[in-house]
Amino acid sequence: MTIIETRDLTYSYPHASKPALKDVNLDIEPGEFILLTGPSGCGKTTFCRTLNGLIPKFYSGEMSGTVRVSGLDTREHPTMMLARHVGLIFQNPDNQIFALTVEKDIAFGLENLGTPKDEMLREINWAADSTGIEPLMSRATHELSGGQKQRLTIASILAMHPEIIVMDEPTAFLDPVGAEHIFMVLDRLNKEFGMTIILIEHRMDLASKYVNRIIVFNNGSVVSDGEPSEVLSRDSIRLLGVGTPRVLELSRRLESHGFGFDGLPISAEALYEALKPRLSSRGTKHPVDMGALDDYTGEFHHHPAIQVKGVDYTYPGNVKALSSVGLTINHGEFVAIMGENGAGKTTLVKHFNGLLRPGKGSVLIDNVDTSTTSVARLSRSVGLVFQNPDDQLFEETVEKEVSFALRNFGFKESVVDSRVKWALNLLDLNEYKDSSPFTLSGGERKRVALASVLAWDPDILVLDEPTVGQDYGQKERLRHFLMQLRIQGKTVVVVTHDVEFVAESKPKIVLMARGKIIGEGPAKEIMTCPKKLSECSVAQPEITKLFAMLSKHGLPEDVLDVDEAYDILVRDLKEAGR
Amino acid sequence: MSLLESLRFTRGDTAIHNMDPRVKFLLTMVFFSASVMFLELVPLIVVFIVQVPLVASAKVTREWLKSLKGASFIAAIIFVTNMASFYYFRGGVLTYGILEYSLALTLRFIVLVTSFSIFFLTTSPDKLSLALEKARIPFEFNFAFITAIRFVPVLAEEAQTIIDAQRSRGLELDKGSFIARVRNYIPILLPLIINSIRRSLELAEAMESRAFGATEKRTNLYELKMTGFDYGTLAAAMLSILLLVFLKLYFPVFPKLLGEGVIL
Repeated sequence: MTIIETRDLTYSYPHASKPALKDVNLDIEPGEFILLTGPSGCGKTTFCRTLNGLIPKFYSGEMSGTVRVSGLDTREHPTMMLARHVGLIFQNPDNQIFALTVEKDIAFGLENLGTPKDEMLREINWAADSTGIEPLMSRATHELSGGQKQRLTIASILAMHPEIIVMDEPTAFLDPVGAEHIFMVLDRLNKEFGMTIILIEHRMDLASKYVNRIIVFNNGSVVSDGEPSEVLSRDSIRLLGVGTPRVLELSRRLESHGFGFDGLPISAEALYEALKPRLSSRGTKHPVDMGALDDYTGEFHHHPAIQVKGVDYTYPGNVKALSSVGLTINHGEFVAIMGENGAGKTTLVKHFNGLLRPGKGSVLIDNVDTSTTSVARLSRSVGLVFQNPDDQLFEETVEKEVSFALRNFGFKESVVDSRVKWALNLLDLNEYKDSSPFTLSGGERKRVALASVLAWDPDILVLDEPTVGQDYGQKERLRHFLMQLRIQGKTVVVVTHDVEFVAESKPKIVLMARGKIIGEGPAKEIMTCPKKLSECSVAQPEITKLFAMLSKHGLPEDVLDVDEAYDILVRDLKEAGR
Repeated sequence: MSLLESLRFTRGDTAIHNMDPRVKFLLTMVFFSASVMFLELVPLIVVFIVQVPLVASAKVTREWLKSLKGASFIAAIIFVTNMASFYYFRGGVLTYGILEYSLALTLRFIVLVTSFSIFFLTTSPDKLSLALEKARIPFEFNFAFITAIRFVPVLAEEAQTIIDAQRSRGLELDKGSFIARVRNYIPILLPLIINSIRRSLELAEAMESRAFGATEKRTNLYELKMTGFDYGTLAAAMLSILLLVFLKLYFPVFPKLLGEGVIL
């Protein structure tokens, strides 16, 4: 029996010029674990909203065709009734937690359904147990970490016993280990209880190995549908800008080079098993000494741009966020600060332009002490771009938004004009210069926020989580853009959870955990140190996991990206074939 | 602000915390009426002496002291204005009687703060909402109340992030004339308002997905159930009210502690 069935589903949001969904025909069977993907704005979120009737009831707009969920037509049954069958979980956990304690929040849906108390207690315990949050039952919801909050939202939906769980980018705000946890919970619900799971996710590397079907949307239509490794290795899909998991990409390249696989491996483990019997026994050395290459940027001049000396910081209410942090970032360096949620990364970068002043110790920017200089003054040389563009956009037009800081800094009108033009061009925003920033998409808004900082051309650029909520294509553009800035000699500091992003851009890495710096070094060195990484909830990139296994066969272990992995493997496999 | 801050619920597992919120509210009202009915120092000291062990047994002494610290400024104003006004309007004489009266007024304020501290520090908003529900307040209002409490820390954090983001873009909040300063807040308020609207839409979506309003007969995970201790406390509270009324009616004069001598 088909559990979800859509027929000729077409939908347009009110006042929209073109439909968000066009002739979607899908059949989903019970027990499937499905990944929905596609470039930003492709209609995947819209599709999820049709599954419990939020579309068309909550959003109005024009809908034609039918959606049947568990045999019920979504148009004929109110959303609150469909809630028993489909549980929808959204991106931001904060906006779906209603109660003050964990236990009470899990109960919320059941209370609304009028479930008797003893049954309610049973369901709550089961849901908490299945998601692993049982030890947190009596905690206050606002004290939970991001990952715990997201697990709570799953438990709260689970308690209502839906047959289908739909999650819209549940891991966007989580560190890699927290994200892996969420996928493991979903995997368990799927395998143990046979739940149907539909997941929207940009973290292809982590997610794709759990699912058994991938549906790709583009411009509101389904463009591809099938088994993960098969769908993701189609050329048409790669051209769409859907990220291919790195391991799959490596397998695909090896295959096109003539190494046959029995179905393309998608996880590090599977590829390792496929490669193992064919490796040369002698091992292959690095083609170049990569260690020397990595120190390359900071090498010419050692002028410190940012010096952090023995800094302690405590938030009001006695929350210790930093303790004796010491760090030097030189001019021209590219640094990624990584670490678990709540490790103090954002607190640290807020010290760079004086938003926070150290409780103990000192922070020097170009040898100027931040505790005696105003934020406005420091910001001239340190541009800080915040994670969420919506926390700063407020002007009527994009052009005004980008000029805001320039006017604050008192630039001359002629200079303001030329700088705004320059920044809009740089970030490809020229066509939107007269639109309101609020009508733009998430990715575009993020670019406006970045442009509004780049406009005054700061020497040091600090970006907090620039890749969150960005699709693969947008991440690639950002990476190239940061490379450009590096070539111009700018100092770039990125706070990020995105290990794949780091693996490909290979910055110097600073690892943080519990308010301390626990490791610092070139990407290759840090990424091959699983003990340190796990201490701060950062996972190794999939490619590095593969090479950790391959290193037993004499291959190098410090391999981070697909290109290098491909080089080394081809060399070794050829050697073995000889 | 620190006064309000220190009234925030502190989790705990004491008899006071577990008391039925309705009984606890009645108890608070007893303290409240006691401090309003009497203007003499002696009965107020007695009330205060009764309150202190309650605070201690609820293990909220530190939070209570914080609330007193927050209240100390107002307490000082009460004391000083009383002393000063009596001094000027009663012909430049300061007696122990005036001192005692001013002390009583100040203590009355402290007793009031303490009684509300005990209530709010030890009553979880969840229980409060349950009590409201029992009082037949419609669930929608109740839900709004809980949601408001739930989002106070979230909004405070968001406001701080917005301020930080705009300051990073060179906004100087305390620069310029009064009008300019007011205008400086536009870049902070607009994102805050727009985010709140967006958030409320997301909340509504999430509520729908959690079957909000699916049935008229909503159930509740927690139930209020009066225990023997609650009944005991209820009886004690009732008796205290009778005692207070009796004292007020038939025992009009309390001994003065400090006498009537002249200080200045």
